[in-house]
Amino acid sequence: MEAVNIQFAPETGTEEEWNEAYARLADYFRSYQLHNRIRRTQLILETLRRAAAAHKTNTKKTPTAHSIEQARIMLKEWLGAIYSDMNLNESQLEAGGRLGFHLSGGPARWPNFFLDKENLPQDMIEAMRSAVRASGPGMQVSKMTPRDIDLGRVSEVAEDTFDTLGRHPILRYSILIGIVVAVLTYLYLLFR
Amino acid sequence: MSTPAAPAVTSPISTGMPPQRIARMRRATFFSFVGLGTIVGTWLMYVYLSERGMRWSEWGLLAVFTPLYYQLNVGFWTALFGLWLMNRPGHDALDLWRTLKPEDHEEAITASTAIIMPVFNEDVTRVFEGLRSIYLSLEQTGHSKNFDFFILSDSNQTSQWIEEEAAWLELCRQLNAFGRIFYRKRRKPINRKSGNVSDFCRRWGKRYRYMLVLDADSLMSGGLITSMTRIMEKNTGIGILQTFPKQIGAETLLGRVMQFAQALYGPPFMAGLDYWQCGEANFWGHNAIIRLEPFIKFCALPALPGKEPFGGHILSHDFVEAALMRKAGWAVRLLPTNRGSYEEGPPTLVDMLKRDRRWCQGNMQHFWLVFAKGWHPMSRVNFIHGILSYASSLLWFFFLLFTTFLAATPVPQLDPQAMQAQQILLGLTATLIFLPKTATLLDEVFTGRLFKPLKMRLLTFMSSMADTVVFTLMAPVLMIFHSQFVVYTVLGKGVRWVTQRRKAEGVDWAEVFFTFWVVCLIGIVWAILGWFVSHAFLLWISPILIALFLAIPMAIVVSGRSSGHRFGFFLTTEETEPPSVLATMNDNLAEIKGRIHLPPELEKHHGLLQVCLDPYVNGLHVSLLRRRKSIDVSRSYLNEIAQRMIQLGPQSLNAQEIKAMIHDTETVTDLHYRLWSARDHELAPFWATAIRQYNLAASSPFTHTLAQRELA
Repeated sequence: MEAVNIQFAPETGTEEEWNEAYARLADYFRSYQLHNRIRRTQLILETLRRAAAAHKTNTKKTPTAHSIEQARIMLKEWLGAIYSDMNLNESQLEAGGRLGFHLSGGPARWPNFFLDKENLPQDMIEAMRSAVRASGPGMQVSKMTPRDIDLGRVSEVAEDTFDTLGRHPILRYSILIGIVVAVLTYLYLLFR
Repeated sequence: MSTPAAPAVTSPISTGMPPQRIARMRRATFFSFVGLGTIVGTWLMYVYLSERGMRWSEWGLLAVFTPLYYQLNVGFWTALFGLWLMNRPGHDALDLWRTLKPEDHEEAITASTAIIMPVFNEDVTRVFEGLRSIYLSLEQTGHSKNFDFFILSDSNQTSQWIEEEAAWLELCRQLNAFGRIFYRKRRKPINRKSGNVSDFCRRWGKRYRYMLVLDADSLMSGGLITSMTRIMEKNTGIGILQTFPKQIGAETLLGRVMQFAQALYGPPFMAGLDYWQCGEANFWGHNAIIRLEPFIKFCALPALPGKEPFGGHILSHDFVEAALMRKAGWAVRLLPTNRGSYEEGPPTLVDMLKRDRRWCQGNMQHFWLVFAKGWHPMSRVNFIHGILSYASSLLWFFFLLFTTFLAATPVPQLDPQAMQAQQILLGLTATLIFLPKTATLLDEVFTGRLFKPLKMRLLTFMSSMADTVVFTLMAPVLMIFHSQFVVYTVLGKGVRWVTQRRKAEGVDWAEVFFTFWVVCLIGIVWAILGWFVSHAFLLWISPILIALFLAIPMAIVVSGRSSGHRFGFFLTTEETEPPSVLATMNDNLAEIKGRIHLPPELEKHHGLLQVCLDPYVNGLHVSLLRRRKSIDVSRSYLNEIAQRMIQLGPQSLNAQEIKAMIHDTETVTDLHYRLWSARDHELAPFWATAIRQYNLAASSPFTHTLAQRELA
């Protein structure tokens, strides 16, 4: 990576916009668990430098959007160099690459080499490539087919009854009301 | 992972299947006592009622009394046989533990076993910390090589799903267990838990000889797991081996009373059940090991005739799977265990009722299966007992109604024979209810099976007296609700599949009031009726009516955290001397409890927040998503809802919209960059706050739900 130009002076965009972009990048790189503040600042300034150049050609996008876009490009380039011969598509490269960095303990072990495609320690490359992610072992498919259970005559009659009652809610509730009326009639006769 | 193929399914094998001679003898003995008790009770009731001829209401009373008395006898004799087994000097001829010799415990386990945990919107921390404890406990045995773990998720809440993924990754990283612990999420949770397990069986079943099924709140020690595998290896005729899961982790009065009662009275009941169930025991759905090949071949569940709730998909699949396994010729055995197998219970009375509502419907569905062809007779008995466990509440309710009617029309004078029958019946019933409890308590006081110090034994004695009060107050309330559940099921009112709440979150007074006010009202109306019917009758029924009247305060008290713990009430050995598997989990849960939390709004959507903002969680989720050639919804629709979520926050989207976004790899990746690229004023306040506070909450995105316990 080139030496960081601390005298950052973008030609387009307002100071407020670039300050906001700075704050956002700070939060963004922190979400990568990069706890080394000096390294984080280096990365922020390098990204801002690239974003300022991009903003000059396209002022419709905000400096914040340009900054995150540049961070993404830097990440893709860096991961592309690490996983160059692994035949990963763009989505796999980004998602799997980020995860590989985390699983290899990258944020703690190699924070100074994050996004630095010019300096790639061999042990970091090996660790990131061998980081395993497994969502399940290889499938060995079996058939598990339900067998019919012969429910017998009683269940057949019950099924027909419940089926009839199920299809005719009026009938169902009529029977229920009939039972209630019978009980009340009995009570009336009892206490008459 | 070495995965030798399971042995070919041939004819049923006898090892592990109790000899018919013993099984028949035991059942003949047991059911003779049960039958005798039921006949004597029914006869005494008949003598009492038939003094002046039988009216139809008296026949009705006798009809509901008989199954109730049968059920009472089953419980009584099961406990008594269990106590006899626990105290007799010789060994039980069918004791499965005796099939293992001391040297067997040193031998390597070559059988491949999958330990599966189906989850559905459960507390992620509890699930993964429980799993970690089991994993570590298994590692300590030195025989864990051929065990794999599977978390089988059907969670349909996005945040829950993401947190599960993150917890899985972190657990694997901390334990260095990639390739040993697997996570699988189903896109469509067809057929609920049984469908989840079947899906596992179809995909990976062939790789494993055994499957140990856990619930989300299960905990098992490595020692017990390896022993169960060895028992299955030695007893090739066993299809399902069920342990006795003891309750742990209760914090409320209800939870601790249930936990205590299960610890004290559970062992004799289990020993008794094992005595008469022999090779036709039940499967309770978890904390059990299953021989996979016959399970896959014979235990797939067909749908029941009719529609839910009475028909359709089988809810209580475990009983049916046990019956199918036995029908295919494999034994289903209960392994009496004192330690090593644990689960958690519902914390409040309302939670208990919600659970019972599901169980009731599941058991009532088995009505169809009672008359099906080909079952072993004991499987039918198991189905009937399951149905009776809920239907008996309705029978008891009818019994009380008939009694009220009869009290309203008293016969002028009772003759001496009827009076005598009444008194004998009263004494006999009191014996059936209280003797098992008294005998178990005396067994504990004299043997110190749970606690050796005399002080602890006396505390156990006093706790037992106290739990009688709690159960006496609860029983009539449960009767009303269970009766209602049975009627609702028959009338076709089904239940939703909801997550069981396993930890107390304080008493919701409004929920308690709206749940129990009707019960109070029933108590009051019944008391007024009783007053007019007969004062003597009112006195006789008053314990039940008082319990109904006090339902609301009782529900509040038992759901509270004042449970007499500091006075030594309701203590269990798991509380005083927690086994290492439980101690590990408790330590880790305590660590997480002390963590810094995000504001409640962010905590609520924490998983969603992580997958959108965190580069690693986002990468993990995209890596785990199956890439689909075509998506179910249009790209423009996904863009529109993504934009809405950025501008208005996650609360502006419904669950379906969030799910549609989170299932699409392109949208999830895009969302991550769009959120970070937006200026503060373009973001919903939720996201602006989340971006500012996210990095402050935890040192790593993956530690939010898990303790930090790196392996040395």
